Amino acid sequence: MATIDTFSNPARAAETGTGVATGAGEGGLLVSLSPLDHEGLQRTLSNLSAAFPGESLLIATPDAAPDSSSAENAQGNIRMISYAPAAASRDSWLLTAADYFNAYKMAKDHGARSILLLGSESASLAPEALVRMVHAVSTGSDLASPSYALGPREGLVNSGILYPVTRSLFGTRPHFPLAVDLGLSLRMAERLATVAQRFTAINQMDALIWPVAEAAAVGYPIAEITGVARSIPQPATTDLNAVLARVAGSLFADVDAKAAIWQRIRTTQAGNGAAGVPASTLREPAMDISAMLETFRIAYTNLAEIWSLVLPPNSLLGLKRLAAMPAATFRMPDALWARIVFDFILAYRLRTLNRGHLLGALTPLYLAWVASHIGQATDAASAEQHMESVAAAFEAEKPYLVSRWRWPDRFNP
Amino acid sequence: MYLTLQSAQPVQPVQTFQPIYTPSIWENMGDALHQSVTRVLSLLISLLPGLLALLLAVAVLAAIGMLLSYIVRRILTSVRFDDRLAGNQSSGIADWSPSHSPTILVARTVLWACVLLGLVIGISAFSASYSADSQTPYVFLPYLTHSVGAILLLFVGNLIARFLARSVLIGAVNQKLQYARFLSVGVKWLVLVLTAAMVLDHLHIGGTIVGLAFGILFGGIVLTLSLAIGLGSRDLVTRSIEKSIDRSDLISRDPLAPLPGEEVGETFRHF
Repeated sequence: MATIDTFSNPARAAETGTGVATGAGEGGLLVSLSPLDHEGLQRTLSNLSAAFPGESLLIATPDAAPDSSSAENAQGNIRMISYAPAAASRDSWLLTAADYFNAYKMAKDHGARSILLLGSESASLAPEALVRMVHAVSTGSDLASPSYALGPREGLVNSGILYPVTRSLFGTRPHFPLAVDLGLSLRMAERLATVAQRFTAINQMDALIWPVAEAAAVGYPIAEITGVARSIPQPATTDLNAVLARVAGSLFADVDAKAAIWQRIRTTQAGNGAAGVPASTLREPAMDISAMLETFRIAYTNLAEIWSLVLPPNSLLGLKRLAAMPAATFRMPDALWARIVFDFILAYRLRTLNRGHLLGALTPLYLAWVASHIGQATDAASAEQHMESVAAAFEAEKPYLVSRWRWPDRFNP
Repeated sequence: MYLTLQSAQPVQPVQTFQPIYTPSIWENMGDALHQSVTRVLSLLISLLPGLLALLLAVAVLAAIGMLLSYIVRRILTSVRFDDRLAGNQSSGIADWSPSHSPTILVARTVLWACVLLGLVIGISAFSASYSADSQTPYVFLPYLTHSVGAILLLFVGNLIARFLARSVLIGAVNQKLQYARFLSVGVKWLVLVLTAAMVLDHLHIGGTIVGLAFGILFGGIVLTLSLAIGLGSRDLVTRSIEKSIDRSDLISRDPLAPLPGEEVGETFRHF
């Protein structure tokens, strides 16, 4: 079991196979890669070489063969180290506690001053995006978070829950609070590793960490790198309930843990507007949302009793109207969705019902929001517009959450 | 004539018949009542030591529980147990602790464990005191001595029934099953019937009748659920089989060719 004090212990580093390197990376940039196949690794290396020509790079990857450890590669400016992760993650589609822990540990061991943490499928990242992320960190930001150029019907959990909740509560602008690539200063990496270590110490390697919220909590500058195009890794399982429960549950727990911080934040940082260059400007064909609406209507018939434990009568009335709405005009008001999410966060905190049940009861409501979003997001611009209007609604409803958080027993119509 | 006859017979001593005292019905009833009251009082008096032992055991263990609870709370507060647990949001205890604090949860658990222990010890003592005199008809006492276990069974059974019912309801709704509520209620009653049978068996009420009735009822519920799910899931099974057939067809297809009826852009991604 690793502990945080091993970060500065060279002997420990030697044990884990990292060694103490000199030259590349020392006082410079450490690039930490997630597991890649051979072709992906080669493409990533060539992208990095093209992005930072002439600069010496230290690249840590668990994929390199043992005999290539600490060996210069063909490009000359790249020094690769393979490492046996001190903490191994079983899930690779998102950055987990183990990734943050390992990255900081290696940066500390090799004297790097900044870290480029690249998630799964990083071969699809363009060299320009890599340069911009590193540049943001080297010019004073502690966290460089990319804003991915996605289609109007992609990243829906992010658009509906993660982004608006993080923006409204922590006053931050980055559009992807759970980005799979990050640029980190050493102190930011240390902060994240400290948080991650709480989980890795109890063998919870797959725990999610929220870097944007962490940076906001300590007041570190955050830069958003817009228009980053990449292939977004998807979860291995197709069970939406399990994945949504994992991601939303982690976010709700983080909100609960940082209640003293976000209640004091009143304003949102000035941002750079749109999330980035849309992946496509083509108008998307109409999509059949009847399956999602069917799930929502079945849930409305069966879960009303459970929802009534969490939601106030006004929200239940809104859901009743939604359930009666035809598919063609199905629209969930942004304010209603914001209050629903905030009420679920509050119920998560108060343990109104079992947390597994609570997050399971959120899934049909999320699908109703997705159906509503798909009806409105006919192209990338309208999707972006809807995403922003949802986030604005969350900001407008923040006093509601603060009030209910402080006085949960007060009458709430 | 009369005199002759009288002198010929020996002289009999004169017997004096004292009047026999016959108690009235009221006196009989009074005696019977008196004897009954005496029996009841003696029964109660014979119960008193056991009852006293029961109360004493509960009181002493409750006092010990309060003391232990206080000590545990002080220790956990001093080691900042709540803060440590807050750092580990996903730990199991956090999910079960009340909204106040995990420290209070642990302290209360210690207190109620001691009270429960006191009840168990007290009832054992009570049971021992009456079983020594088996001539006395203590009909209700066996039920009392088993009541703690029965109440616990009932409590835990109810909790499990509610938890499973909700789990099934939410899971079935997310699987788009139209009969989600029916399934949930069925599971709930399965567990409740099982609990009721266990409670009655624990109290030794009903004997084999309970087992028989439970078997019939449990089997009936399971059969009903099976029929309902089987009939209701025909479409689901059909779709599933069709999908598996389609999937086997796809093995020989060009993987890059679009599927029949599939349009470009007809998808969405949650992540």
